[in-house]
Amino acid sequence: MILDIQKLETGYGRLQVLRGIDLSVGKESVGLFGPNGAGKTTLINAIMGIVKPWGGSILFEGEPIGGKPTHEVARMGIALVPQERELFPGMSVADNLELGAAYVPRGKGIMAQQLETVLELFPILKERYKQFVGTMSGGQQRMVAIGRALMANPALLILDEPSLGLQPSIVAEVFDRLSILKKDIAILVTEQNVRESLKAIDRGYVIENGSVLLEDTAEGLAKNPHVVSAYLGI
Amino acid sequence: MANKRNATTIVAILAVVVLLLWRPTVIIYGLQAAGLYATIAIPMGLILGIVHIVNLAHGEFMMLAAYATYMLCQSLGIDPYLAMIPVAIVTSAFGFLVYKLTIRQALKAPELNQLILTFGLGIAITQTMNLFFTSQTRKMSFGYVSASIDIGELSFGVYNFVFVGFAILMVIGLRLYLTKTTAGKAALAVGQNPKGAAIVGIDVDKTYGSVFAIATALVGMMGAVFITRSAVFPTVGSPFTMKSFCLVAMAGIGNIPGILGASVLLGISENFLKAFRSLRGWSDIVFFVLIITVILGRSIKGKKA
Repeated sequence: MILDIQKLETGYGRLQVLRGIDLSVGKESVGLFGPNGAGKTTLINAIMGIVKPWGGSILFEGEPIGGKPTHEVARMGIALVPQERELFPGMSVADNLELGAAYVPRGKGIMAQQLETVLELFPILKERYKQFVGTMSGGQQRMVAIGRALMANPALLILDEPSLGLQPSIVAEVFDRLSILKKDIAILVTEQNVRESLKAIDRGYVIENGSVLLEDTAEGLAKNPHVVSAYLGI
Repeated sequence: MANKRNATTIVAILAVVVLLLWRPTVIIYGLQAAGLYATIAIPMGLILGIVHIVNLAHGEFMMLAAYATYMLCQSLGIDPYLAMIPVAIVTSAFGFLVYKLTIRQALKAPELNQLILTFGLGIAITQTMNLFFTSQTRKMSFGYVSASIDIGELSFGVYNFVFVGFAILMVIGLRLYLTKTTAGKAALAVGQNPKGAAIVGIDVDKTYGSVFAIATALVGMMGAVFITRSAVFPTVGSPFTMKSFCLVAMAGIGNIPGILGASVLLGISENFLKAFRSLRGWSDIVFFVLIITVILGRSIKGKKA
């Protein structure tokens, strides 16, 4: 098991958001669905050490990471593509990508190789290699963010709403790329666009009000009456 | 926009030519003052650009370094230039300690609290020095400081041009550090987006500490050079804090080369007023006028956009 979360509880200030989440990710691609405010981003923040867990445990490759500072979690091999991208706008695509690998031991040694993979995956980044990231469109910035995360050669890649604010054709492209990646990396992805993401994942969780409501394979979720009525809108 | 910029450049060049013909010393001493201002403002700009803290105790660090140099040179009988590196190391260690014990605790506090904190630090440092060393001025004299050049009827001191050299070296050095080394790029990244930096594995807290140490090392070096030309007393640093703040604000956050330009403007304007006997006393007010103009100009521009 790459990521194993048990009875995780956390929140902000006195507001509890997660009420005992059990979730695991093996060498597979896992989707995380739920309405706004269900706790998807909070769960990711707890894994990355951006919010501290109140209770429960988070194991990454068998090691407890709950409460570790963010940069240490990143160095162990979890790469995050945040909802807001969180790039370095005044730096070039090249520098953004380089910093993705520079501080992660498992990515640093094979930086040249990772760079080749990323530029192959997103050819547009090769064209814009020297351009400042802040001057690029939202879709291209999303690609830089995914590329930067891949540079670390992560064991687990977390994507928070990768299709947010993107036009449909690019959303399809992003999921297309994700299906290529999932052969090698464990992926945890949250998504509003349930229909598109069900095509790209192996398994999924539906989170509502801070707890896991459903857990099933992609096919199972696609047939589940609750998922169909609440998320697929049929 | 391009036309406007060209017009400004032409006006600036014309002004310089006229000044050179009429009062060459305004340009010469203006540049020398600019060099001194820039060398002290650049480290402050570095801290503001990356740690996002306005260090109102900045000039006081220079004052401390100048005292350290004075004591070292007096007791060992060496030249301040030999003391530069050891003083830089001591100032840097002190700066790092101050960062760890105080500023680090206030990183998440509101900006006003951070300002009050560094302002208070400045006062505490000044008054502690006052207590131990009294307000008596201390000065060392060196032959090379009075070096001068004669061109025709014009005679002027050249020693202070070393500050111009240091300012240019500092800008080039920092630029190389921030754009060519991994640690420098990481520091730049932390300045642009600390959250993004943490998720790629950069230790944000450690980066802040090292940037603070680098900046105080630079200001420590300049404290050692400062004492070759000026007397030192406990409040000698505070005008430099104010002027550095003014220059950094004029250049804009994160714009280190811009500090050079702002310093030249400040240095030449001050020396322009000093060229008139009756206006001499007003030269200290120049930076207030400049900072008000710049901030006003920016707000008007911001409103239009």
